[in-house]
Amino acid sequence: MRTLQTLGRMPIGLTVPAFAILIIVFGAPIVLLFLTSLNAPALSIANYQAFLGQQANVRVLFQTIEVSVLATIICIIIGYPTAYLITAAPKRLRMVLLVLVIIPYLTSLLARTYAWIVILGDRGLINNLLLDLGLISSPLPLIYNRVAVYIGMVHIMLPVMILPLVSVMLGIDKSLVAAACSMGARPFAAFWRVFLPLSLPGVRSGSLLVFVLCLGFYITPAALGGLRDVMLSTFIAAQVATSFNMARTAAAAFILLGIAAVIVSALGLDLSDTPGRAEQPPRKSWRRRLPSFGTLTRNLNELAKPYRAKRWAAELYQVGGDGRDRKIVGTVFVLIVMFYLLFPGVVVITMSFNAGTFLQFPPSSLSLRWYRSFFGDPSWTTAALTSIQIGVAVVILSTIVGMLAAYGLSRTVPRLRAILTMMLLTPITFPSIVVGIAAYFGLLNLGLIGTITGIILTHCIGAVGYVVVIVSATLGNFDRRLELAAKSMRAGPLRTFMKVTLPLIWPGVMGGAVFAFIHSFDEVVKTSLISGFSIRTLPLKMWENMRHEIDPTIAAVASLLIFLPLLWLVALYVTWWRSRPKDQLAVPQL
Amino acid sequence: MSVNVRHPVAAEGQALEATPFPAQIEFCGVTKTYGQVTAVEGLSLTVQRGEFLTILGPSGSGKTTTLMLLAGFEAPTAGDILIAGKSVASVPSYRRDQGIVFQSYALFPHLSVRRNLDFPLEMRGVKAADTTRRVDRILARVQLSDLGGRMPSQLSGGQQQRVALARALVADPPILLLDEPLSALDRNLREQMQREIKSLHKEFGITTVYVTHDQDEALTLSDRIVVMRAGRIEQTDTPEALYDRPTTRFVAKFLGEANILEDTAVEVESDATRPFGTVAMIRPERICVADPTAPQRSDAIRRQVVAGTVDDMIYAGPLRKYHVRVGTSVLVVREHVASGQQIFRPGDEVRLDWLRSDVRFVAA
Repeated sequence: MRTLQTLGRMPIGLTVPAFAILIIVFGAPIVLLFLTSLNAPALSIANYQAFLGQQANVRVLFQTIEVSVLATIICIIIGYPTAYLITAAPKRLRMVLLVLVIIPYLTSLLARTYAWIVILGDRGLINNLLLDLGLISSPLPLIYNRVAVYIGMVHIMLPVMILPLVSVMLGIDKSLVAAACSMGARPFAAFWRVFLPLSLPGVRSGSLLVFVLCLGFYITPAALGGLRDVMLSTFIAAQVATSFNMARTAAAAFILLGIAAVIVSALGLDLSDTPGRAEQPPRKSWRRRLPSFGTLTRNLNELAKPYRAKRWAAELYQVGGDGRDRKIVGTVFVLIVMFYLLFPGVVVITMSFNAGTFLQFPPSSLSLRWYRSFFGDPSWTTAALTSIQIGVAVVILSTIVGMLAAYGLSRTVPRLRAILTMMLLTPITFPSIVVGIAAYFGLLNLGLIGTITGIILTHCIGAVGYVVVIVSATLGNFDRRLELAAKSMRAGPLRTFMKVTLPLIWPGVMGGAVFAFIHSFDEVVKTSLISGFSIRTLPLKMWENMRHEIDPTIAAVASLLIFLPLLWLVALYVTWWRSRPKDQLAVPQL
Repeated sequence: MSVNVRHPVAAEGQALEATPFPAQIEFCGVTKTYGQVTAVEGLSLTVQRGEFLTILGPSGSGKTTTLMLLAGFEAPTAGDILIAGKSVASVPSYRRDQGIVFQSYALFPHLSVRRNLDFPLEMRGVKAADTTRRVDRILARVQLSDLGGRMPSQLSGGQQQRVALARALVADPPILLLDEPLSALDRNLREQMQREIKSLHKEFGITTVYVTHDQDEALTLSDRIVVMRAGRIEQTDTPEALYDRPTTRFVAKFLGEANILEDTAVEVESDATRPFGTVAMIRPERICVADPTAPQRSDAIRRQVVAGTVDDMIYAGPLRKYHVRVGTSVLVVREHVASGQQIFRPGDEVRLDWLRSDVRFVAA
């Protein structure tokens, strides 16, 4: 009793509710699951051997890694220049471009995936257009293949890559590049020798986020890929649905988790830290880690020197180009990327006003019939209401629990804080199918499968992660002397928190709440496992619809879901950016 | 190449020990506008070879723009800039032979001190052996020989500043540009660095353009000072002439303190007649303060005398500053603290007097 009391008084006690939920829903089950996968108490690796022994499984495993690596590389190739150009843009334009990147980032994953079905489908936008123009006689196989998977995945992941990159790039002192130029570095040399090395932390955290999320990707590959493009997540989910051999399934899930863990630790990113703050650590020269590479570049450098000396002498005080070509290329590039990010949304919204029975673009005539169909069909409205109910409950529970945890964590020693934060973030950093299976396992034992409570708890563990990240970031900027000041005026701890701390971190709390809602409102993978086919949320209904019948009603739903982020942006702007003293970029990652 | 800038590396390849050849810089009617805003207007100026020229002005006066134009980061909207007689208006920064010290130092945070210093030499294609020798030499010169392996973040502010200077000078450029380089340092360090910059300038004989808003720095360092205001040159002269004979009220007030006598109720007696459109000005240290009952000075005939009341006395170490109310306005008087001096308190009646020849007429 005594110890309990002292624990309650310690700041770390505030994290107890968050950890209680985490351990019940996810922590304990995943440990049990791991033991199950080892056939505990026998402790054999038979299940892993069985999994890896099957040719088909190994193929899926390698395919998952291959697709994730390639999608990450494409994201870097497109995302890096985009982030660079956004950073280089004048301030107002930069804000506009950032908003244009954030809108798809906040848009429902289902709605965005649906948009690609509409665009790439056999009767979709591109095929219809080409058929109408008479360029082709039968639809091109644009969808249900690997290329479609990449198009969809990169579209979904691009904002996740661009946002940390921009946040790191904005932190790079502009005078460094100017200094390099003043010392005779041509623009490319200045970029290569100065800007690029300094932006690498952003590349690292961006690619890590993208890669780990890709590994666990479920919806988009399943919706856009063919039968041969199965990802491990889809595979595991199918196993859960059909075999119910928990040990086998668990083994597959832990293999997926293992790959993610290996990659994360290899690249060594502290996921508890927001990329914005991780910028420019005084690291030793990054080349020093790769001595052979360093020597090689140095030797090449030495070889290039006579040429450089000659060019330096020849070009000294020669008039240079004004870089107009580069500007045009950059503008065109950004326009294409923005088109790629935003066009699918535009297509879906336009389609939703279609009057015909088929998906048609452009619509032959306009009507609100699919919206009426949505609001008139009880199966849709019930699903929507269920989702809203769950979402609201998740927001209330996770915001309170997460805020307390973040506050408690901000008062603990940094090392402990880092470890505890990492643990609280596992539900959003682990592939969601792994989290889903663990939660399924845990809630099964509690008899909560197929209940609203079960779904709320499952969503909560993820939502708490978002709230903790965002509120922690806000608390980082919070001046603790204000609390001391309040206490010196005889305010008790509770009054101090309510009167001083809470109002000042309110923007972060609101941001966390918005992200918690988005997380809950767009969740398919875990929900489909927990719902046990008896509860149907809006995303589940959409997902079902997308796979079976393409009813244009879904276009109306997707459009409504695309309009939501605008609402979020306004909500975030009102509480968040406006209250910030500096206009710094603090978009939470993940 | 028709440029008569002779660069030791570029010309002979290896004539490394040669001192840099300072270049002459000319601004010919340079104007720079950003949209509707004119940052610099009709600027004409010549910087002599090896001269130390300071551009002094408040923020928004166009001094930094002028430096950016000279550095090649910006191109002039109109007019031309000549370096060693050749137009460089549209020569990009990386094709100019110059060293720049930035306000933030702009040391590459991912490179060690030594690799920072290698950078300009590498870009000029200097061989590794020569690079090492030159970097060693300049590191020794700025007393940082032991710190070559450190990262910039591991250095103190003064050390970072010295690395920035060394990096700007290591390639022996004919021109050195400094953009408020001392503004981030504390007072003692600033004075030390002023001496360092001055001695480096003397040693390298390099044409130097220094931008600052700090009048003390400008007075201490420069051969000549250009005072800028709202994108135009207000006055150009040696530090002494500028302080002693300012031509405009702005210069008088920006460089040191000035009592504008027209603002006060004092009727100016002067030996010279007041030119049209000017006001009379006197420096606070030229005014003597005395007890009204004290005997007249021997040169009283050449002095103007007014009576006033002490409003305030500010003690500042070696100086004592009085605010003396004369009629409806206040004159600032500064005197050096000396032993046996009479100290006046607020409310005391005093007599102020100054040599009529010390009064200056400045454009209003």
